[in-house]
Amino acid sequence: MKLTTKLMVASSIVALGWSGAAGVSSAQNLEAIGAHVAEHQQLPMFDPPGAPFDAAACMADKKLMVVPFSSAVEFTGGVANRMTELAEEIGFQYVHYQTQGQPSQWIQGINQAITQKFDLVDVLMSDPRVLVPQAVQADAAGVKVVAAHAAGFDTAAPEPFLQVSIDYTQAGQLLAEWALLKTEGKANILAITAEDSFSANSLVNGIKAATDGCADCKVTYLNVPVTDWATRMQSSVQSALLRDPSINYILPIYDGMAQFVVPAVELTQSADRVKIATFNGSPYALQLVQEGRIEMDIGESIDWVAHAIVDAEMRIVCGLEPITDPKVPLYIFDASNVESAGNPPQISTGYGDAYVAGYRKLWGLQ
Amino acid sequence: MTSQTTTVSSGAEKPVHRGRHNALVQLERFALIIAWLGIIVLFGALAPDSFLSWANFSSIFGSQAVLVILTLGLIVPLTAGDIDMSLAQMLTLSSMLIAVLNVGHGWPIAAAIAVAIAVGVLVGLINAFFTLYFRIHSLIVTLGTGTFLHGVTLWISDARTIGGIDWSLVNAVIITRFLGIPLSFYYALALAVVLFYVFEFTSLGRKALFVGRGREVARLSGIPVTRMRLSCFVTSGVFAAIAGVLYAGTSGSADPNSGTQLMLPAFAAAYLGATAIFPGRFNPFGSTIAVYLLVTGITGLSILGIDTYVQDLFYGGALVVAVALSQLVRGREESLT
Repeated sequence: MKLTTKLMVASSIVALGWSGAAGVSSAQNLEAIGAHVAEHQQLPMFDPPGAPFDAAACMADKKLMVVPFSSAVEFTGGVANRMTELAEEIGFQYVHYQTQGQPSQWIQGINQAITQKFDLVDVLMSDPRVLVPQAVQADAAGVKVVAAHAAGFDTAAPEPFLQVSIDYTQAGQLLAEWALLKTEGKANILAITAEDSFSANSLVNGIKAATDGCADCKVTYLNVPVTDWATRMQSSVQSALLRDPSINYILPIYDGMAQFVVPAVELTQSADRVKIATFNGSPYALQLVQEGRIEMDIGESIDWVAHAIVDAEMRIVCGLEPITDPKVPLYIFDASNVESAGNPPQISTGYGDAYVAGYRKLWGLQ
Repeated sequence: MTSQTTTVSSGAEKPVHRGRHNALVQLERFALIIAWLGIIVLFGALAPDSFLSWANFSSIFGSQAVLVILTLGLIVPLTAGDIDMSLAQMLTLSSMLIAVLNVGHGWPIAAAIAVAIAVGVLVGLINAFFTLYFRIHSLIVTLGTGTFLHGVTLWISDARTIGGIDWSLVNAVIITRFLGIPLSFYYALALAVVLFYVFEFTSLGRKALFVGRGREVARLSGIPVTRMRLSCFVTSGVFAAIAGVLYAGTSGSADPNSGTQLMLPAFAAAYLGATAIFPGRFNPFGSTIAVYLLVTGITGLSILGIDTYVQDLFYGGALVVAVALSQLVRGREESLT
């Protein structure tokens, strides 16, 4: 990160902290929020998460396994596939244990990692807490257990999980800041959460951090568990919009919620007053941005995430200093830049390719 | 003398019993509607401004068409004594086919819909083939085909949510309104009317009912049991495919998983609906009313800002209480006759 960028972020954070006393609606605070948002509208640059090392040399005899939530889910399956491809490029074995979202399969995967003496097993899922007994067994057998991409910096995974955290708090903060900025500090937000997801806590903390000091704002939280999205999300959002017709922003914390939120907005004929800002950057949600149904979607590149996780895990296995921040960028897509994601939008497209050469240089491959 | 008294006495009691019986039957038939009105009155009193608005009822009616059609599709094989557990997966496959063909391959939306419905027919035939030819219980067959269909859905979609479906479908489903209610409601209502007509006023519908009540008796009576069951499976597949069309038209996108969660609500509505209008029989209007009763209650709870877990309490509680009350009435009916 460039020095000017760091200064800009620092000044934004200071200004946001100050806003708690003075109220967000002051022009100065809105300016700071605007600067913070603008920071994430710049094409991401590669910021090395740690010191360079010779990945090929230290990983030559290592074998790792990833057990995703489901290989059939775009994000977890996509990241797992890319991780195995990256390992092949570097020159070590990274097994993708194929799953279909069933806990019995996750357990089988971890057991296999233990019996086959893998060096590390990564449980790539939204809530690793369901696998603590297996993680304890793996740890006792000398297999390092990582919960990658599961939570933000402010949420610790249970022992003995190691973490590759993502700045979910920042994502939540950006969502709320976007609403504050666009409403000039008069946001009436409906934040849709899924508290059964481990990362939801960090995202909500981010929303709270951005809105706590806003005197003219209102935030209503609607918790819809992941398993109820198809059956409850739409009717719950419709009811919330009818209950409070002054809601002007909906913040679904994951863009997988958007397919139920968009119809709710249409059905209540609220599209002219209610905007949607969300997080994840899934291609179908970016298409809704292109169509004007969603105003903004904070994206994270699957390919970049895969690079960051592999980098952090290689450092764990090689006994290097662990990564505290994998520096996966959060990039804002809105009407001004969403075409860069492709037409129709594609996975990992629109984020630039600075990280590709950056990571290879970091790993001593170039 | 004694015998005369007894005769007179029993003769005087019969009309009384018959009157109570009829009153109970009528009460049972319309109990669900009365309960629905009761819920509207209750939440109307608690949150008059938001709950009693036309916008609220418009969104209630307009947002449940998919579940109504899925439930209608479910009660067809249930009437003939079969269970189709593949319906929700067929719905998901239908919406995904539309997305893949329309977005991925640039097919016109009408052609994509036609293919989805044709696949619904095909799936119905496959379910019927394995159930009827191999004489396997429909529950087992449709559990298997449902899982298979889910695999196909994941395969053709590459396990991704696909957006960007021709907006004309969304226009035709939720944007265009008649009397302020999205057209999807009228599609569901039209299908319920058609199914009601078939069940009540055609020999086809009556035969399906006979088959469901007693397969062997129906066979001995000359009813083509196999053909009837096959027709019901195909109808069920087509209804699920139509529900998938509306599912895709509701959000303009298709995802490979979420539609599968509609199976249990559809069962709840089918069994709750069987306590109304024609108690003891799966019937289209009963099922439709059941869907809207449940969603009205849930909407009311949401408008009051009550946590979503209470919705589950309401959903499950309403189903069990309604069916239990219906059985209670049935018990009285037996003692009366």
